[in-house]
Amino acid sequence: MVFSSITFLFYFLPIVIILYYLAPSKLKNTVLFFVSLCFYAWGEPKYILLMIFSIIIGYVSGILTEKLQNKIYRKLVLFISLFIIIGLLGYFKYTNFFLENLNRIDGVSLKLLNITLPIGISFYTFQIISYEIDVYRGKVFAQKNPLSLALYVTMFPQLIAGPIVRYADIATQLEERTHDFQHIAYGIRRFILGLGKKVLLADVLAEFCENLKVTQDGSVLYFWLYAINISLYIYLDFSGYSDMAIGLGSIFGFHFPENFYYPFCSKSITEFWRRWHISLGSWFRDYVYIPMGGNRVGRIRGFFHIFIVWMLTGFWHGANWNFIVWGLYFSLFLIVEKIWLGKQLAKHKYLSRIYVLFILVVSFVIFNETSMGQILAILKGMSGCDGIPLISQESLYFLKSYGITFLISLIAATPLTKLFIEKLRRNSKLDKAINALEPFLLLGFLFVITAYLVAGTFHPFLYFRF
Amino acid sequence: MSLQKKNIVVTIITGSFFLFFFLMSIQKKPDAFSYTERRKLSQRPTISVENVLSGKYAKDIETYATEQFPFREQFRKIHALSNRHMFQKKDNNGVYMEEDFLCDFNYPLNKESILYATDKFRFIYENYLKEKNSKLYISCIPDKNYFLGKKYGYPSLNYDQLFQMVKKETAYMEYIDIIDWLELSDYYKTDTHWKQECLIDVAQRIGLAMGNNTLHTEYKEALLEKPFYGVYYGQASLPLPADELKYLNTKLFSNCSVYDHENKKEIEIYDFEKANGLDPYEIFLSGPISLITIENKHATTDKELLLFRDSFGSSIAPLFVESYKKITLIDIRYIPSSYLDKFVTFQENQDVLFLYSTLVLNHSETLK
Repeated sequence: MVFSSITFLFYFLPIVIILYYLAPSKLKNTVLFFVSLCFYAWGEPKYILLMIFSIIIGYVSGILTEKLQNKIYRKLVLFISLFIIIGLLGYFKYTNFFLENLNRIDGVSLKLLNITLPIGISFYTFQIISYEIDVYRGKVFAQKNPLSLALYVTMFPQLIAGPIVRYADIATQLEERTHDFQHIAYGIRRFILGLGKKVLLADVLAEFCENLKVTQDGSVLYFWLYAINISLYIYLDFSGYSDMAIGLGSIFGFHFPENFYYPFCSKSITEFWRRWHISLGSWFRDYVYIPMGGNRVGRIRGFFHIFIVWMLTGFWHGANWNFIVWGLYFSLFLIVEKIWLGKQLAKHKYLSRIYVLFILVVSFVIFNETSMGQILAILKGMSGCDGIPLISQESLYFLKSYGITFLISLIAATPLTKLFIEKLRRNSKLDKAINALEPFLLLGFLFVITAYLVAGTFHPFLYFRF
Repeated sequence: MSLQKKNIVVTIITGSFFLFFFLMSIQKKPDAFSYTERRKLSQRPTISVENVLSGKYAKDIETYATEQFPFREQFRKIHALSNRHMFQKKDNNGVYMEEDFLCDFNYPLNKESILYATDKFRFIYENYLKEKNSKLYISCIPDKNYFLGKKYGYPSLNYDQLFQMVKKETAYMEYIDIIDWLELSDYYKTDTHWKQECLIDVAQRIGLAMGNNTLHTEYKEALLEKPFYGVYYGQASLPLPADELKYLNTKLFSNCSVYDHENKKEIEIYDFEKANGLDPYEIFLSGPISLITIENKHATTDKELLLFRDSFGSSIAPLFVESYKKITLIDIRYIPSSYLDKFVTFQENQDVLFLYSTLVLNHSETLK
């Protein structure tokens, strides 16, 4: 089930909120757990057992790791459980990728497996891994209550597309959390804004891209529009989902970590990765990069670590070469920034932003296109090679037609609106007026979003395929 | 308003919104049909273990919930108006409005489709007409985007290239150019089709090209009382006035017998039962029918016309009646070209006219 669907918004969510708030405090976790299972089972019930199996592995591993005194045994338990959990992820996500690549070798002809990727497996696997390692490291106590651990993994707001919530972040909230109008209203606002990002902007940009693809246009403007659109679409789709997840978490009394912080405003690629998919970046930092030695090793070895971590980051996004190339592409700039470019970028406020935006636009072309030939064709088109025209009637039309959405999307990718509202709020009269208007603006927003959902084409979340 | 009060109001207002539509959704009886979109709406799916496990039930219920959402038509209008006025989007679902006319892009030029259509025409020519000494004609009817597209900067196919391709691929026929006899006002505002009452000069032009004398029949315009909301109306979802559907009457038509070979029954030139149905344009020769013959009992000639046509042909065909004893209307979207000799009599010296709109030529996959 996806958040931007009629069944979720007007059937599932009202029922869940009513059940949750009618349930006594002791039963709230139970209610949330069972509705989360229903949420996951909706549309893909067969993989629910796989998720429960992974949770059991994580639970047993946590208890044993904590109980065992012998370091070797503890390590062994952790190793076995990680092997099983990562093995499951590898089997379901990467088997066919490896088989396809082996088949490229002359004389090898292996049959591909009929496997569909279980929704959210990349996210919940990483959550269970973080829990197990944190217990092993003694950062958190093992969860004795299987329901609480199961709820941590399965909680529907973050189950299928993140953010990758660490157990340590919500361990206490699983046992005790407050429910008040402040958190509920914040959650509602955040959820509606995320829903708006997804439905009114990301889905329309996706339609923009589809329309551009249909044209037989080949102008430079076309390729640039396509590339910028794709970048904005991916950002708004994913950050919109994270906003909704954080908002829903808040409605149920949880505080999920932020996942995006205006990444397109970064002044370097290093900074971009501190603002983009923060929960994934910090996961790789804490569970891969630092255990490998991080930057406390020799320079060359440190670069190698960056190379490995970003290759894995890319590969996490999907079993395709373009994702690996995408990760490696970033590692290249991260290394160059560490060597020399970082200091130069710090000196140039505007140039650094242009540099980042250019790198990002190219990166999202790589991210979005699964065929390397297609990637090269778009990049070639952007460069204006082959004497293609600069602009065309079709590209201009689509730019005009989607211009306002495009502009709003650009603004939504910056903190301009937030800063503007904060500035207005400094005036007490305006602050009161904004407070008075807010509920009605949200209501109007909901009407328009619903209209788009009822009338528009259905677009699943991009990050569902991960 | 204090922060605490605002939080309470936000919670109550938005909560009520979700609750209201939740309650409305579960108590609403499903509609069978969407009249504006002219299509059946999905009904509550049947639940079974197999459907649930395969995920089909979830998909079906999503479609059902969306299509049966309370006040769906009003929400579709909000969507269209927001698109047009708030986001300044120039089209809605590919349909745009200029000069109060709704129009779709019919874009880009699909060369394969044009060649597929002309291959079908060639097949008919080579198998049924080549040896018959028939006079062959072809004409293309431009869609509304021809008049509006370039003028207002909308994507528009290269019509000249389309016409040239048709001419080149059907060089064995005489091409009748009717572009200069058509203008935007000859089309309905909310529909794809042309208006019959504006086609007398076009019929005259085609008739003359086919060697017929100037038409003498005088027609009287009659107005269908029912408002005509064309096919674009539902797609655009904009609150627009209806078109007027007029049809031309003459005594000559009462001397004609019209036979629907597909349903094996006599019909009328104007079908008022169909006019009151979902698509009032079907008033003209009862809409999409594969094979129709019109016989003019008082004809002063023995000439016959074979008219290969799409839906545009339904409204202009009656205007050719004066010049022929028999007109056979053939719609190869509904009858395979390879079976034509089983149903159509191909004789010496028949006039043959292929009359197709650019909409069909550019999406000719429907031709059989």
